Amino acid sequence: MKAWRDPVALLAVPASLYLLLLYALPLLWLLAKSFTGAEGLTLKPYIEFFSDPFNWRVVWNTLSVALWVTLVCLVVGYPAAFALARAGAALQIAMLVAIILPLSVGVVVKAFAWQIVLQRNGMVSQLLVATGVWDEPQRLLFTPPGLVLGAANIFLPFMILPIYSVVKLIDPRLLEAGATLGAAPVYRFVKIMLPLTLPGVVSGLAFVFSMAVSMYVIPSLLIGDRFQTLSTLTGRSFLFMRNEQLGSTTAVILLALAVSVVVSSSWLARRLGSRA
Amino acid sequence: MSFLEVSGAEKSFGAALVLGGVDLAVAQGEFVSLLGPSGCGKTTLLRIVAGLLAVDRGTVALDGRNITGLPPHKRDVGVVFQNYALFPHLTVAENVAFGLKAHRRSAGETKDAVKRFLDLVHLSDFADRSVRALSGGQQQRVAVARALAVRPKLLLLDEPFSALDRKLRETMQIELRRLLRELGTTSVFVTHDQDEALTMSDRIAVMNRGAIEQLDTPEAIYRRPATPFALEFVGLSTRLAGTSLGTDDGIVLVETALGRLRAPGSFVKGAPVLLAVRPERIKIGAAENTANARLRDAVFQGSKVQLHFEVRDGDQLMVETSDLPQVPAPGSEMTLGWSSADTLLYPAP
Repeated sequence: MKAWRDPVALLAVPASLYLLLLYALPLLWLLAKSFTGAEGLTLKPYIEFFSDPFNWRVVWNTLSVALWVTLVCLVVGYPAAFALARAGAALQIAMLVAIILPLSVGVVVKAFAWQIVLQRNGMVSQLLVATGVWDEPQRLLFTPPGLVLGAANIFLPFMILPIYSVVKLIDPRLLEAGATLGAAPVYRFVKIMLPLTLPGVVSGLAFVFSMAVSMYVIPSLLIGDRFQTLSTLTGRSFLFMRNEQLGSTTAVILLALAVSVVVSSSWLARRLGSRA
Repeated sequence: MSFLEVSGAEKSFGAALVLGGVDLAVAQGEFVSLLGPSGCGKTTLLRIVAGLLAVDRGTVALDGRNITGLPPHKRDVGVVFQNYALFPHLTVAENVAFGLKAHRRSAGETKDAVKRFLDLVHLSDFADRSVRALSGGQQQRVAVARALAVRPKLLLLDEPFSALDRKLRETMQIELRRLLRELGTTSVFVTHDQDEALTMSDRIAVMNRGAIEQLDTPEAIYRRPATPFALEFVGLSTRLAGTSLGTDDGIVLVETALGRLRAPGSFVKGAPVLLAVRPERIKIGAAENTANARLRDAVFQGSKVQLHFEVRDGDQLMVETSDLPQVPAPGSEMTLGWSSADTLLYPAP
């Protein structure tokens, strides 16, 4: 009760009002819509949704693409965050600009750029042929790997920045202390760096996964209608099929999926972290 | 061959020479302090011995083995860091167990060692606490227990007391010294605090500008500082600029602003010299060397009184005495005396 008497708590009022009116209420409306049939409260939309194998495919598409994007971001972003945190002042600023500046370019612009990069004669294809991975040029555009590649690039800053902010705060002497205690480099990394960076990794994972699971523009431009995700399906239901019931149902399923993955992964990470 | 032998260690950072060919030999079980002002290269030397920094030139040998090129985790050299560098995600016991696990000691052995070393630093009751919940003194003890638990051949301590308040620092100094003596651990201790170095060390290396100016017992360093720097850095002193009037039978007669004074040594006539005396060696009243001076300031320090006298610019005349019936008033003329054997003489710096 004390917190309420603290005038500082009043500072949260504008943000709370904003979120309540413009976010929580519409979301509640959506939730209510998905559970309301002609005869009142019903689970019918959900039963219908899950009895159609096509929809299972949509859920699978959504989750697998989101997981791949998150994985690519983690593998690329984790070492990048270290390089960023340990770089000299000038280089660090240059790297930060390179990471943050692209965020100001619209997603649509970036997605169109990736369309060019992913063409049969695009850069990625040429690179893979030149390095001998592929025998001949192939089109990556409108394929799931192409989508993952493009989306991972666009979401990468959201993995690097939270990890970077944690790494920056870790005293480099902790690794030196580990070394003087007889720990080899890999052991030091696993027992010191990994657990200490885990909070940053968890927030990076949560950011990227929740954005990747709900992305709409990027799959629309990089893979098209043949590959539906929960979010493109939601869009189609509202915009083209004029089926608000289906749209709100898929939206709620998407929300439930995203929230449960993010919450459970952070819970898991915290458990692992306390044991490491 | 000594237990730890650093020879010709040289290190530059860019254009700045931080260590200019340092030699240091430490015997097994010895406690040696590296004493000097910040920037004198003492921490650089410590990091080189630990393997956290590579030498540009020179070698480091420990227990008869050349370890110059070995990475830190293969050296058997423990370090207590200035900020302790405890692992914040681990408990007190897990911090102490870290090195033992890294050395792949058995679970039983690890458990016994953790218990033993936590007992030794009186932290058994804190084993399962987070290190973040500890006070500065407790954290320092965890750092010591963690470094010692793997029984390193050599323990390096980088100003481990600098973050503690004075009273706690004194207790911890005595406790740590006792612990290291009991375990027979060879130790090199970095500090800029002369009292700390004098209290704890078997020998002190006085460092200045990347070189060791004197390496000797605390008593020898205090009584017979080898250089004006060692004189100034360790303890207080009366210092008078003067000119040699010639040497006779090992005694130099020196012309100073306070008259002609005698000191053991050998300087040709006309050589500029620096004459120094420790303040507690000077008595009230005439002696072999006698000077008259006007009292500028008297500082009462409980067990003793510190007297400062008016002298020429650049000189300093200071007396510490405990047998004055009462603190004299500033402005009074006093006669001071000391024996020539207590007088130190250096070429003018």
